[in-house]
Amino acid sequence: MKKLKGKVKAVSSAAALGFACIFVINGTTPVSSAENMPIFDNQGRKIYHALEKTPGTNLAADSWGRTLADFYKLRQYPGSPPRIPHEVDLSFSGKETDCLSCHEQGGFSPEYGKFAPVTPHPENALCYQCHVPVQTEELFVETDWQSIQPPRLGRSALGGSPPPVPHSLQLRENCVSCHTGPGAVVEIRITHANRGDCRQCHATVVQTAPLKLFERK
Amino acid sequence: MKLDRRQFIKQAAISSAYATAGALFPGVSFGDWNKLANNSGVISWQKTPCRFCGTGCGVLVGVSDGRAVAVKGDPSCSVNKGLCCMKGYHSVQALYGKDRLTTAKIRKNGSLVEVPIQEALDLVAEKLKETRDKHGKDSIAMYGSGQWTIPDGYVASKLFKGCLGTNNVEANARLCMASAVTGFMTSFGLDEPMGCYDDIDHANVYITWGNNMAEMHPVLFSRMIANRKRRKNVKIIDFATRHTRTSLAADTSILFKPQTDLAVANAICYEIINNGWVNTNFVNEHVSFRKGKTNIGYGTEDHFTFKEKAEPINFDEFKTFLEDYTPEKVEKISGVPAKDIKYLAALYGDPEIKVTSFWCMGMNQHTRGTWINNLVYNIHLLVGKISTPGNSPFSLTGQPSACGTVREVGTLTHKLPHGVVMKEEHRKMAAEIWDVPLSNIDPKPSYHTVEMFRALDRGDIRFMWIQVTNPMVTMPKLKRYREGALKDDRFIVVSDVYPTPTTDVADVILPAAMWIEQEGLFGNSERRTQHFAQIIDPPGEAMSDTWQIIEVARRLGFEKQFSWSKDDYIKRIWEEYRRFHAGPKHEMAPYDVLEARSGVQWPFVNGKETKWRYNPKYDPACSNGKEFDFYGKKDHRAVIWQRPYEPAAESPDSEYNFWLNTGRVIEHWHTGSMTRRVPVLHNAVPAAYVELHPEDAAELGVVDGEMVKIISRRGEIIMPAQIKGRGVPAKGMVFVPFFDESYLINEVTLDAFCPISKQPDYKKCAVKLEKV
Repeated sequence: MKKLKGKVKAVSSAAALGFACIFVINGTTPVSSAENMPIFDNQGRKIYHALEKTPGTNLAADSWGRTLADFYKLRQYPGSPPRIPHEVDLSFSGKETDCLSCHEQGGFSPEYGKFAPVTPHPENALCYQCHVPVQTEELFVETDWQSIQPPRLGRSALGGSPPPVPHSLQLRENCVSCHTGPGAVVEIRITHANRGDCRQCHATVVQTAPLKLFERK
Repeated sequence: MKLDRRQFIKQAAISSAYATAGALFPGVSFGDWNKLANNSGVISWQKTPCRFCGTGCGVLVGVSDGRAVAVKGDPSCSVNKGLCCMKGYHSVQALYGKDRLTTAKIRKNGSLVEVPIQEALDLVAEKLKETRDKHGKDSIAMYGSGQWTIPDGYVASKLFKGCLGTNNVEANARLCMASAVTGFMTSFGLDEPMGCYDDIDHANVYITWGNNMAEMHPVLFSRMIANRKRRKNVKIIDFATRHTRTSLAADTSILFKPQTDLAVANAICYEIINNGWVNTNFVNEHVSFRKGKTNIGYGTEDHFTFKEKAEPINFDEFKTFLEDYTPEKVEKISGVPAKDIKYLAALYGDPEIKVTSFWCMGMNQHTRGTWINNLVYNIHLLVGKISTPGNSPFSLTGQPSACGTVREVGTLTHKLPHGVVMKEEHRKMAAEIWDVPLSNIDPKPSYHTVEMFRALDRGDIRFMWIQVTNPMVTMPKLKRYREGALKDDRFIVVSDVYPTPTTDVADVILPAAMWIEQEGLFGNSERRTQHFAQIIDPPGEAMSDTWQIIEVARRLGFEKQFSWSKDDYIKRIWEEYRRFHAGPKHEMAPYDVLEARSGVQWPFVNGKETKWRYNPKYDPACSNGKEFDFYGKKDHRAVIWQRPYEPAAESPDSEYNFWLNTGRVIEHWHTGSMTRRVPVLHNAVPAAYVELHPEDAAELGVVDGEMVKIISRRGEIIMPAQIKGRGVPAKGMVFVPFFDESYLINEVTLDAFCPISKQPDYKKCAVKLEKV
């Protein structure tokens, strides 16, 4: 956390220099102004902005050995807020910049030897509201908790057609944060993020939603 | 969600078409959780308010094959707009601890034996009747909770007050918001906030009075942070006795010595008057001035009584009274620099700035809790910053239905669903709706919570039924009340979902349905009533608390009053209860509306919710033709109370030289009986600790994690020290969270309470420390 901050900044600001020439000149509005846009709809503009703000080195970074299974290990059910897999100070006292300095745009952490994954919802700055550290793996009492399988991958309806978005987009409407750059593990990684409007081709077909048959009235 | 055969076939066809492509990464299993076998893969999402705090976030629970499997925030609930906190997101896991109580148990020869629930209910009814016959109607008591659903509390009140004729009905909300109630009643004549959470989106300044909102009401706090990010000129001011996550996120953090918030609030009023910032027009039109008794005591002795004597005063008398509270004089009492007091006063005083004050347990768990509530209202009333968007004195609650069940249904000894037992017209209304003789309802209140447990210890109460709460962890000066409960010839019934220190003292344990395993309604801090359907089945023989009470009532011969059928009893109870609140001041939404929406605010008049009360632009109950109408008072004026600073019941001295403060952490809720069974929450904070100021720790020679003995005049406890954790108490204070039943901090606390509200002060008593 704190220890990591200075180092990451150095890396990402160096990277940002080259990056700025390409993208920031466009004079687009910053991401925060997009907050009032309707949510759960096409967030193409937001995704473009997120992409523009991300330094090129971060975009090019891969997940450094992490897999989708590693990310699911941090969750209690598909879509639950992941736990914090690295050590945090006991004081973890929520200065809003503490987490976002690494996780807003991603950056290399020499301490962990990895690029930090990027949050899809940096507008929510009180990170510890949902994301908990881990002090122990022991349970208070055994649990009978069970949940469903995570969405299966590669569910293109036809061979080679764009696969649908299998999960809910609530708090995860920024596709590039998880599907490209340092957070993108190989199973869900894409290489054409610069097309921006992801949902032009990828329809949201939440796998867990019940099938509704059309009935003509 | 049920699939009919045709849908199922179609779904199966689609799934198999995807299956080939799905084998892209064979052999990889994602997620460490146990997977439901033969799962349909279909989730239906159903709305409910969250089970935990009083914020009342709307959550959507994902159900698959009859089990709750996931949670997301309800985007159509205006409280949280789709965002939850860690407790909300993992709330459904609290249903599935392996030690859930699924069968009834009764104590035979000292040990608990499983019995069919009907047999246990027979015994409860028999013991209740036997005790009542032998020791009188006031020897039986019901102790409930702000986690009771509205129907739970309603049937409890109807049975005990209406049918059995005793006012021995109390709820743990007495320990959590009684001072808020008496504050509202004395200042405005009607309970509950005038404003709503929308105030957050309008205010320029939020002042948190002794309130660590970042951890205790995180969803509202993040809404404040988001506003600060989005709008210019928005500030968070933290006014506290301990440095917390809220202090860190705030623009300004001001620390005061425990109990001296009384003096600082008066000093703010002094400054407002002295600088000519009084909204004279508002004060002349809408405010009256009164003073009450002083030196009112602390209630630490049995049978303590207090009767307020209010006298009218005028503005000049109030002004003269405040001369003892200049910022310079108050700096000496409070430790708050005069310039900081002036800064706070200037924020309240600036007519261009909209100010919302938030508080919760810091002001309510206070031996002068009613007074400090009054004093913050005084500030808002002097400058007229009230009942308009963004200008709001806002009293938060800690339990999901402290407002809905305890304050609105009136599950306190002196209350009825409408009004108080002391007033004949209120008793008449209750007798009529309840279909009981008027003479059944006793016009005299009996015991408030602390006195109720004292009466149990003394033997005045012999039978107590405890539902949805854990008093053997939460009562202050715990040893006396635990030993009282364990005495011979006391019969304790406990309805709960997990074993706790309270079920340990039970003679009968009734397994309860939890949260979405039953239909119910909660009421949150902002006058919002929230309905939830039964979403999943309760385990084993677990039964809703409402139905448990109905079963016992019928066994006692009250079939007529409790005649509802299991199919629609919640709806019938709601429609009966609603009659108490008819009229524009408190009209509740009909069942169908509540069933359809993610919460509805009352007064709900002509199909419209009331966001700001006492303001005719928003509130149809206003009738005086003026800009505001404080119709809770006969003269339509809110009251500014002259209330002095008086010291705490027990302050540090040369022997017991530290303040002890207790409270919560974000991960755990109340006594942890639910949140500790949620793996991620327990993994994050597995045990309680005592927070020390680093200098105090150094003097004591204690490093992080070493054991410290905390000793008070009541008891002692040994627990690990935490230094430089998420909270840092002021020098001379220690802080202990109360969620951990292995470290019962209430062995040490004091049962002093506010004489007006009877709410104990868990934030202040004197202790000494020893290195172990």
